[in-house]
Amino acid sequence: MAVTFLGVRHHSPACARLVRAEIERLDPAFVLIEGPADVGDRLDELLLGHEPPIAIFSYYRDAERVHASWSPFCAYSPEWVALHAGDAAGAEVMFIDLPAWHPAFAERSNRYADAERRYADAVERLCRTFAVDNTDVLWDHLFEIDATDLPAEGGEDLAARLDADPSGRRGDGLAARLDAYFDLIRGEAEAGADDTARETYMAGWIRAAEAEAGDRPVVVVTGGFHTPALRALVAAGGGAEWPEVPSPPDGATGGSFLVPYSFRRLDAFTGYQSGMPSPEYYQRLWEGGPDAAAAALTETVVTRLRKRRQPVSTADLIAARTLTEGLTRLRGHRAPARTDLLDGLVAALVTDDLDQRLPWTSRGPLAPGAHPAVAEMVAALSGDRVGRLHPDTPAPPLVHDAAAELERLGLDRAGTFTLKLTTERGLARSRALHRLRVLGVPGFVRESGPETGADPVLEERWHVTAPDAGGRRTSALIEAGAHGPTLADAAVSALEERLTGAGGDMARLAEVLFDAALCGCAGQADRIAASISTRIGGAPDLGPLGLALDTVLGLWRHDRVLGTARSPLFGRVVQECVTRVLWLAEGVRGATAPADPDRLRAMAATRDALLHAAGPLGLDRDAALGVARRVAADPEAPPDLRGAAFGLTRTLATTGNTATAGTTATGSTAGTGSTAASTGTGDPVRALRGAAAPATFGDWLAGLFALARQEVLDADTGVLAVLDELVGDLDEADFLVALPALRQAFEYFPPREREAIAQALLERRGLRGSGRSLLRTPAAPMVIAEARALEDRVDRALTAAGLTQGEPA
Amino acid sequence: MAEDTTDYQRPPAEVRFAAELERLREDDTGPRPPGWALSLTAARRFIVGDDAIGVTRKFVGDASLIDRALVTLATSRGLMLVGEPGTAKSLLSELIAAAVSGTSTLTIQGGAATTEDQIKYSWNYALLVSEGPSTRSLVPAPLLDGMAQGRIVRFEEITRCPLEVQDSLLSPLSDRVLAIPELTGPESMVFARDGFNVIATANTRDRGVNEMSAALKRRFNFETVFPIADFGTELDLVEAEAARLLERSGVAVAPRRDVLEVLVTTFRELRNAATEDGRTLDRLSAVMSTAEAVSVAHAVGVRGWFLRGEAGGAADIVECLAGTAAKDSPDDLSRLRRYLEQQASRRDGEQWKALHAARHLLPG
Repeated sequence: MAVTFLGVRHHSPACARLVRAEIERLDPAFVLIEGPADVGDRLDELLLGHEPPIAIFSYYRDAERVHASWSPFCAYSPEWVALHAGDAAGAEVMFIDLPAWHPAFAERSNRYADAERRYADAVERLCRTFAVDNTDVLWDHLFEIDATDLPAEGGEDLAARLDADPSGRRGDGLAARLDAYFDLIRGEAEAGADDTARETYMAGWIRAAEAEAGDRPVVVVTGGFHTPALRALVAAGGGAEWPEVPSPPDGATGGSFLVPYSFRRLDAFTGYQSGMPSPEYYQRLWEGGPDAAAAALTETVVTRLRKRRQPVSTADLIAARTLTEGLTRLRGHRAPARTDLLDGLVAALVTDDLDQRLPWTSRGPLAPGAHPAVAEMVAALSGDRVGRLHPDTPAPPLVHDAAAELERLGLDRAGTFTLKLTTERGLARSRALHRLRVLGVPGFVRESGPETGADPVLEERWHVTAPDAGGRRTSALIEAGAHGPTLADAAVSALEERLTGAGGDMARLAEVLFDAALCGCAGQADRIAASISTRIGGAPDLGPLGLALDTVLGLWRHDRVLGTARSPLFGRVVQECVTRVLWLAEGVRGATAPADPDRLRAMAATRDALLHAAGPLGLDRDAALGVARRVAADPEAPPDLRGAAFGLTRTLATTGNTATAGTTATGSTAGTGSTAASTGTGDPVRALRGAAAPATFGDWLAGLFALARQEVLDADTGVLAVLDELVGDLDEADFLVALPALRQAFEYFPPREREAIAQALLERRGLRGSGRSLLRTPAAPMVIAEARALEDRVDRALTAAGLTQGEPA
Repeated sequence: MAEDTTDYQRPPAEVRFAAELERLREDDTGPRPPGWALSLTAARRFIVGDDAIGVTRKFVGDASLIDRALVTLATSRGLMLVGEPGTAKSLLSELIAAAVSGTSTLTIQGGAATTEDQIKYSWNYALLVSEGPSTRSLVPAPLLDGMAQGRIVRFEEITRCPLEVQDSLLSPLSDRVLAIPELTGPESMVFARDGFNVIATANTRDRGVNEMSAALKRRFNFETVFPIADFGTELDLVEAEAARLLERSGVAVAPRRDVLEVLVTTFRELRNAATEDGRTLDRLSAVMSTAEAVSVAHAVGVRGWFLRGEAGGAADIVECLAGTAAKDSPDDLSRLRRYLEQQASRRDGEQWKALHAARHLLPG
């Protein structure tokens, strides 16, 4: 049989070397590669002479789904090497896999992603046998680095099979070892329907090529997971005509084009759904072998660390070198492997306890706060290479789409544009410009417009400059082309990336969401929604969270201009924010902490969400009520939060279905003691008296007023009377202690309500007069305070001199 | 070994696993570092296990940690194992010492009252008075023994010792010599033989390694031992250990897997201060180690069996958590309560619901 199957791991230098050697040795008629078949007629574009890493970006859109995916290549990708070696050998090179838009890829955003869950069990057992941490280390051990003791170690079937290299046909036995490895993991894994569809399709190409090649060899380069199945399918026989390249169904658009890629995105430690870790390491391994790679990267790590003023002494370097050497030998390697190097460096350079596991043992991304030495090591091995496309590469569709869109909207000239967001055309123009802005395309500047979700501004002014001669705008668009084929798709993808970068920073998150609203992307951003909930779940502080909730709740409830009212994405964000606010609120400690307006705003925003969105979003009012009651009764909680929680219980209990809320809440607070029940069921007068220590009750009131001002204004609750009485009872010193917080608390009332309070106070005293005049002081507070202090001193002086009549003041 | 060890409560590792060590020694063809009882490869197999020759896996953790630890010991630096309490640091140091030197009993237990005498040597005062200082009146402590015999010395909880006592390790570790100024002639200097090194352990809760002198830090390679990363592995371990303890306590039913799942998840989430799906929580100040999880699982089983004749359920977890997790800290108690109120309520599953429903059993 003239078909040679080369099962590879994507992004493996060892496999790439094998592929190159085999193609050169066999001089095949056909080289068939696992790659999107719809790009097959444009393979010469790939051969133009790009600087990898680059990727084929594929997009697809129909009524139901939008899908974008990448097939990344670096210099040491077996597929990339097969393409070039095949072309150089004069073979016909073909991509034989289903197009990326095919439903078989619906769940994947990277065709060449590794670390498949599908064969996790088999890999885990092999890891145990060879006593390594994970699949990457196992792979290095078995294939990238020549291990001396491979067949001898362990009694596993793999080892046994590695021992018996049946063919002896290929030099160092790497090919046979790969076959044994992939047979083993494929033998245990469940191939899904998606895999079967792809393999059937690829087998069709292989049979056709085999028939056409006659007695000349055919080389097939695919992921090793597919090789055993392909072999069986081809051996089973079948039609030998060339398969058709499927085209997208009617009404759908799709396509593929080349975009530059980067090592940062390739790296499993930083990117999501990416392949092998540490691309810079493997690049060096591919270029100069393991010793050169280890030496170069040690140097990079040390240089980076010293630049960051982390001490690295010569003794440390000697120790690192010794350890790496020792580990290399212990693990039976002829030259240091990636983790030998990393382990040696970390053991020698880190002289503290670590807060998180070493990323190369756990295969996870690096969490914030990693030890600087570890962070630098990961960064150095990840590298920052960015690919460059050859100038003759056809421009990505985004460039054309953007030009067409600007022309259609009459924005293809320089000038200042005033857009009315309430008209359809105005909104379309605004969205196009915002999309260009979030994609970082220069020349589009917004001079004015709505700043937040609650901003009642319905006009925007934009300044558009003419495209510059240097082509900065075009090159920015080409770069942005990697995000998607149209402005809308690209903007979603760019926003997603910003969201990923925002981490737990709620202020940035709110910004991204507002941008999504401005871009008109909020409706199609399901992908954003998925990642957003964990981010909100990690928010550490109430203040920024409240800001985000406020913004988003406004957009969700009202914004018909931007079209975000009742958007599922924003609804999801509201849900998550409310859950998180309630969680955080119950954990705040500090019985003497001063009032924090940001925190109170978060509570107020939560109240609004519970009042206006609980039904449609399925928010749990009873749970919220339970939290509010516990916080209100918690002596360790800050007074402002207790006041706010008390206000929340009042609002929820009076507006909601009181009966249900009451019974469930009583059940849920049963364990937290009777204080909760008594304050919870909410007599504000009692609660107020309970909170009335001079140092704290201003803060308590601030919390209450932030959420439930009506309580004070309603005469029948008697809050104002008690308040008046409490303030009246304060002595001079206590009053001064309480004053700042009280002033802050009453800030929550708008002037008209303050006037009503003043009027009520006058009435209580049976006085006549205007409440308004009571709100104005005849002079600045400071002057009054100084005057009183002076009077005080005079009084005391007079008393000391015995000049007062009666008792001293 | 001639001595009868069958009624020891816990014989040292070299006795417990004598048969395995023997098999590894027979099978051992690799090069041995000078003074080592086994080659590096065989020592590694002793700890990570090797089914082929019936060597059990004794440490559930990263294999690369064992590699780094062993290679470190073969160099001129000591090994410092740091980590939260209950992460099996001491077990690991015992296993390594047994594999490398064949003995794990040269152990110094660090504490506030540890003195240099207990580390280096002291005197038999009766002999000292009658004969003067001599090798006969000298009473060697573990460090002196380890250096003279070329063995691994274990220093447990080194950071709990006063700093100046910690620093007494400096010259043995760097110059590999211990001076006994009271003696004269060649006996006044004890030079370390091949095979001598130090494994120290330190837990991050008491007094961290930050205060340790830079000079001493430099002579150690640091390895952080983490709690078990994989949920399934930890669950299996807790199940096996709890079942063993319950059997010994005369409980006739095995613990329920779904109850243990809730228990282990609770421990893991409170320990990591994050839920499995990434929401952050507050960290408890109490230690939520696997060992603690085992002891709670044990207590749950005992309560269930002796109070009601069944395996114990989520309500027992709440009762027992109050004792282990919260101990005497009201802050921890309120964190725990918040977890039960707001996190347990969001989970599906019978046992989670039961846990949520039982939250009022927390005291206070």
